[in-house]
Amino acid sequence: MKRLWTIAVSVVFFVIFVVGSPIVTNASEESECFKCHSSAKKLIDATREIAKTKSTVKSAQSEGEG
Amino acid sequence: MEPLAPHEKIFVDSEFLEDENHGQIACVDCHGGNPDDPDWKTAHNGVVKDPTYPDAEKACGECHDEITENYKTSLHVSLRPYKLIMDQRATANSVVYNKLGCAMEKNCSSCHSSCGQCHISRPESVEGGFLEGHLFTGKPPMQEVCTACHGSRVQKEYFGDNEGVQPDVHKAKYMKCDKCHSGEEMHGDGKEYDHRYAVENGPKCIDCHDEIYDKNAENVITHRIHKDKATCQVCHSQGYKNCSSCHVADDEHGNSFYKTKRSWLDFKIGLNPLKSEKRPEKFAVLRHVPIDKESFEFYVKNGLDNFDKLPTWKFATPHNIVRKTKQNASCNSCHGNKDLFLLEKDVEASEKAANKGVIVPDSMIPRNQKWQPK
Repeated sequence: MKRLWTIAVSVVFFVIFVVGSPIVTNASEESECFKCHSSAKKLIDATREIAKTKSTVKSAQSEGEG
Repeated sequence: MEPLAPHEKIFVDSEFLEDENHGQIACVDCHGGNPDDPDWKTAHNGVVKDPTYPDAEKACGECHDEITENYKTSLHVSLRPYKLIMDQRATANSVVYNKLGCAMEKNCSSCHSSCGQCHISRPESVEGGFLEGHLFTGKPPMQEVCTACHGSRVQKEYFGDNEGVQPDVHKAKYMKCDKCHSGEEMHGDGKEYDHRYAVENGPKCIDCHDEIYDKNAENVITHRIHKDKATCQVCHSQGYKNCSSCHVADDEHGNSFYKTKRSWLDFKIGLNPLKSEKRPEKFAVLRHVPIDKESFEFYVKNGLDNFDKLPTWKFATPHNIVRKTKQNASCNSCHGNKDLFLLEKDVEASEKAANKGVIVPDSMIPRNQKWQPK
């Protein structure tokens, strides 16, 4: 029984202090989000592609000071 | 302010990861979406651009609980005074009123802010975009956030961009917006205010200039004589921008737009429309606001049936304060000077009823003074 306890405590210790908290992840670990959003080239390509399909949502007819 | 290029708006600086607080939070936790999807188009399904609006609780509440608790009462978020003012002018007909509400929602409600739209990105109403690669900024930068929205009036007044008008003396002292408008004021204090001038922790000149009524203070006599009679701006502000007749509509693509008939520089002293125990002054500076009885006619006829319930010349605090102005050069620069006061003739015929409470009758214009303070 004592041996089982030692193994269990060791596993928990390993997970928390060596691997890192399973709850906490950071932006860099979400490689796809961060890889793209920190690459100007990828963003330029993506935003150009979006611009081709997206219709404008802002009217050019606004005039004067508001 | 130049808008950012589309890719600049969403570029995340790698320095963001070094933020020991926010950099440790996974993107998906705030923004949603599917980070495991290798196709960026489908990975963005369900992404929330600004997870702090309209409710900041989930994104910010865990750490900034006190601020997020009051967040919804911040006037930058709730826009409560706008709604109340429109309610007072609106028709009692419920069908027409609902149509008016939709028109307002489409045209007016986009001018709001949020935690994210001050501390992470430019406000959406000025086309958004990260301030500094998604780095969190404690104090929002003045020109990219505050005056990006408050441009036509506050910015031009404060920076002296209106022709012939000096910049605000506080600008000359390198003071930025947050020197007077504190974070506490911006974040809301949990109370629902009817008017921005009712906000308890809003700025007051006297907070800093508390010595002006002291026995040995410079110009003490003048300040004491005018105490509770005229607001500070009556003597210390300069000409400011007024607008009239804003109309909103949809273009051929269904996108909304606005047109204001005219804007002009003027300086008018009127009767204080917010006179109260807290604001006892008889005279205040008034600014013409762009509302018109037919502002929403494109969407709904007769939506503002009760237009005359509120003045179109409203209590104002122009942000172009200087020590010496044309009207305070001498007693008689103001006393007896009819041009400074909002008279019947200055108000359009269609707005006379709305402004009857703020127009200064001839009999109330302060008379010429023979005595001058030393």
